Amino acid sequence: MISVNPTTSNAEKLDLENLSPEQTALSIKNLDLFYGQDQALYDISMHVPKNRVTAFIGPSGCGKSTLLRCINRMNDLVEICKVKGDIELHGKNIYDKDVDVAALRRRIGMVFQRPNPFPKSIYENVVYGLRLQGVKDRRVLDEAVETSLRGAALWDEVKDRLNASAFSLSGGQQQRLVIARSIAIEPEILLLDEPTSALDPISTLTIEELITDLKKQFTVVIVTHNMQQAARVSDQTAFLYMGKLIEYADTDTLFTTPSEKQTEDYITGRYG
Amino acid sequence: MATQSAQQLSANRTRLFKDRFARYGVTAGGIMVLVALLLIFFYLLYVVQPIFESVSLKKVNEFNLPQAQQVEAVGMEEQAEIGYRFLQSGKLEFFALIDKNERQAGEILLSEQFADADKISSFAKTLPVNKQYVYGLNDGKAVVVEPKFNVTFPETASTSATDRVERIITPRFEVKNDGQPLVIDEQQRALQKLAYETDGDGMLFAAAVDGSTLLITHFVAEENFMTGAVTLTPNYTEIPLNSAIDDIVVTPDLRQVMVRRENRVHIFDISISGEVSERDLLPMRKGELGNATGMYLLAGASSILLTHDTGLVSQWFEVPGDEGRQYQYIRQFDAGSPVTDVEVEYYRRTFYTLSENGELNIFHTTSEADLYQGKPAEVDVERVMVDPRANYLLMKTASGYSLFDVDNEHPEVTWSGIWQEVWYEGYPEPDYTWQSTSGSDDFESKFSLVPISFGTIKAAAYAMLFAVPIGLAAAVYTAYFMSPSVRKFVKPTVEIMEALPTVILGFLAGLWLAPLVEAYLPGFIAILILIPTSIIAMAAIWSQMPTNIKSKVNDGRASLLLIPVVLLMGWLSFEISPWIEQVLFDGDARRFITNELGVTFDQRNSLVVGIAMGFAVIPTIFSIAEDAVFSVPKHLSNGSLALGATPWQTLTKVVLLTASPGIFSAVMMGLGRAVGETMIVLMATGNTPIMDWNIFEGMRTLSANIAVEMPESEVGSSHYRILFLAAFVLFIFTFFFNTIAEFVRQRLRDKYSSM
Repeated sequence: MISVNPTTSNAEKLDLENLSPEQTALSIKNLDLFYGQDQALYDISMHVPKNRVTAFIGPSGCGKSTLLRCINRMNDLVEICKVKGDIELHGKNIYDKDVDVAALRRRIGMVFQRPNPFPKSIYENVVYGLRLQGVKDRRVLDEAVETSLRGAALWDEVKDRLNASAFSLSGGQQQRLVIARSIAIEPEILLLDEPTSALDPISTLTIEELITDLKKQFTVVIVTHNMQQAARVSDQTAFLYMGKLIEYADTDTLFTTPSEKQTEDYITGRYG
Repeated sequence: MATQSAQQLSANRTRLFKDRFARYGVTAGGIMVLVALLLIFFYLLYVVQPIFESVSLKKVNEFNLPQAQQVEAVGMEEQAEIGYRFLQSGKLEFFALIDKNERQAGEILLSEQFADADKISSFAKTLPVNKQYVYGLNDGKAVVVEPKFNVTFPETASTSATDRVERIITPRFEVKNDGQPLVIDEQQRALQKLAYETDGDGMLFAAAVDGSTLLITHFVAEENFMTGAVTLTPNYTEIPLNSAIDDIVVTPDLRQVMVRRENRVHIFDISISGEVSERDLLPMRKGELGNATGMYLLAGASSILLTHDTGLVSQWFEVPGDEGRQYQYIRQFDAGSPVTDVEVEYYRRTFYTLSENGELNIFHTTSEADLYQGKPAEVDVERVMVDPRANYLLMKTASGYSLFDVDNEHPEVTWSGIWQEVWYEGYPEPDYTWQSTSGSDDFESKFSLVPISFGTIKAAAYAMLFAVPIGLAAAVYTAYFMSPSVRKFVKPTVEIMEALPTVILGFLAGLWLAPLVEAYLPGFIAILILIPTSIIAMAAIWSQMPTNIKSKVNDGRASLLLIPVVLLMGWLSFEISPWIEQVLFDGDARRFITNELGVTFDQRNSLVVGIAMGFAVIPTIFSIAEDAVFSVPKHLSNGSLALGATPWQTLTKVVLLTASPGIFSAVMMGLGRAVGETMIVLMATGNTPIMDWNIFEGMRTLSANIAVEMPESEVGSSHYRILFLAAFVLFIFTFFFNTIAEFVRQRLRDKYSSM
């Protein structure tokens, strides 16, 4: 199993406005985002705490996935996308000119909505990121495969067929393989973009349990349209609406005593 | 409610009908395509199949002629209606072969005695083409006879316009030298052995006198300018040999006399002025072949056939060697029993042998084929002759005369002759050669599909060498790196190139590009080096540019900056071409390549074809490969990018892998097109059927070969059928490539793209 670090428990609440640098994984400051002429995100500022699960919720099209993609600059791939403002990782703005995007993405991993294993074996999928970094030592790779697959709670299911095609796995297993692939390169932050929306309830449950385990080692940011999921897995939740950050608080607080009217309307099911 | 459900029911019925109609329509269409393909396949096979059929003999008629002492020769005219025989007694008899025009088969139509039986000492005949016969007399004279036939179509009073006019063939003969015997030996010795040939004007006699003396008498025809009368001037040469002469043969060009004395064969050359010189002796291989028993000339007069007491027949012809052209043993045929007589055909390399055991054998030299063996009339065969069209065989057997219909259309073609090296007459060694026609009738056709199959592969290989790197690189760039706005017009533009008629590419390549390449050869080589290196250099410079300059140009459009670089390098290459030529190639690159490097340079060469056909193939490869790369799911490449891969790593490790079935298809489709392409190779290659990978020489491909030769080949001839075989081979080629492509593609797809 993954080594367990003593971390803050769910119950312990943080002051999200004034996190100490040691507690901060990421700070978003005055972020605006445009698709061509259309503005998709308006002046977003927030701090993402370390070794915690942060959830982005909101109705479809509210910009939660866009915001998540800003964090590892996946939005760069969209030609017409322009970003203003800062996202700071260890005090360094990731949108600075001298930032190596590939290196950034090694530190901020991402798992997508649909399982996307590569057309390779299970083993090769997991070591893909390590091979990119030029790791060739077979023992290192073998060890990483076992650690990552155990970390993604997949080891026991696939340990006898590591050389089988990744496509031979079920959807839920594929998604866990993708998580294993992401954690194999030991990122600081793991971004999960609706990781269970394409999965069945049992696989969803497995992944949710996994997320709770993952935060012991990584900072997790998850986008979900499922409020129960956000309530179950996250420590703090951000509610976005129409490209604006409406409310950002401890999950318990946000779901029980939201301070904004729009948040309350959303979590009580008025819209979304 | 009832009407409503009834309406629904009827609506369903039309839908059902449409559904069925569509299903059957699609099924029928698909089956028709398959049937059409199979029909092409079987039609090709149907046309090709006769070349591999064996010889068959069918008896047409059988008749008897008056008993005669000894028949020297038999023959017939080309319609196989009238035959003739020369008797040892000095008599020529014409007789009907079939019942026609109120003639009975075997009826003597005309006969003539040319000399007294007791004066005749020898008999000789020319090659069938010249159709002349000689009686040698015991007073040193000879009578030359040519049987002739008049063909008339007499119209009788009762003939109406609709009736077919009956053809009547009447035999006649002509005795040369105005009916007078020619004096062969001034000393009036008996002509014991005789050989004779004519080239139309001159006549050459070679005779044995006194057993071991060779007498060569050359009559040179001279026309009197005033009267037009032709006078024959004899030129006598006498060569004493030290043992008895067995056989003498004269070539129809009157330039060679061959004399056999047991196992020794002397070759005598006769110069234009009539000088006789002995050249060489056949290097006999007695041990294997046995003792020689007879000597004959093959049609075309390039080959000597020697018969041996072992039943073997050996073929010899002149081969260029260190000491000029020399006769050499080539191959042998086994008749089973010692051969008593050999008859050759008029034009083809087929010959007929009669053995001591009374069997007839039919052989063909080029194809080394043993076409027939046996007794067609079930009795011993004594004399045989074929008609000029090689459709009928006249046979004198022990029991009378028989006329056979011969079905031997394609003796020169065998499967091994098409695909293996064959030693053709006059060639220094066995070789793969394609040379289907020539000016002369007795030309030995050389049907080897190897050089043209090789040419097909060579043309396709050079085209692919040019097209695959450019096509695939362009496809990957367009699909993966180019901005969508640029891609939107680049892709259709390249695809439109595919619609360019290849005949235009062909004549541009042949008439414009080929001379240009020849004139600026160093420039073209410089282009091949300069453009790729300058592109890479430009990319390196661009990546080192300050960010504020780079940010002014959109990433997807940065490639447009290469256009001026490519143009500049192209222009520069041409500009420095004469200079390179001066410095490196002594002022003339072409001469340098030919003389210094010893490499043949043709103007229409593989380089030109590679460029032109590559140009034709690029759109095919580009279009399919671009689709394949572009259709790699975005979430796969994003997954790789999210793991910290650079775009290049993502491309090489994920995108190309996933697109590999499509890319492979693209290359194979391109190859299929290059193999089948006709007009470009036809117009830009020079169509030389050679077997050489040299990039500065041309080639002839299967498709171009069919296009060039089909219009001039006689329907039903061996040539015609071989061209169909070439088409069949081409069909198999493309079928093979496509099957392999589809198989590999399926395998790759199962492995890499079950997304």
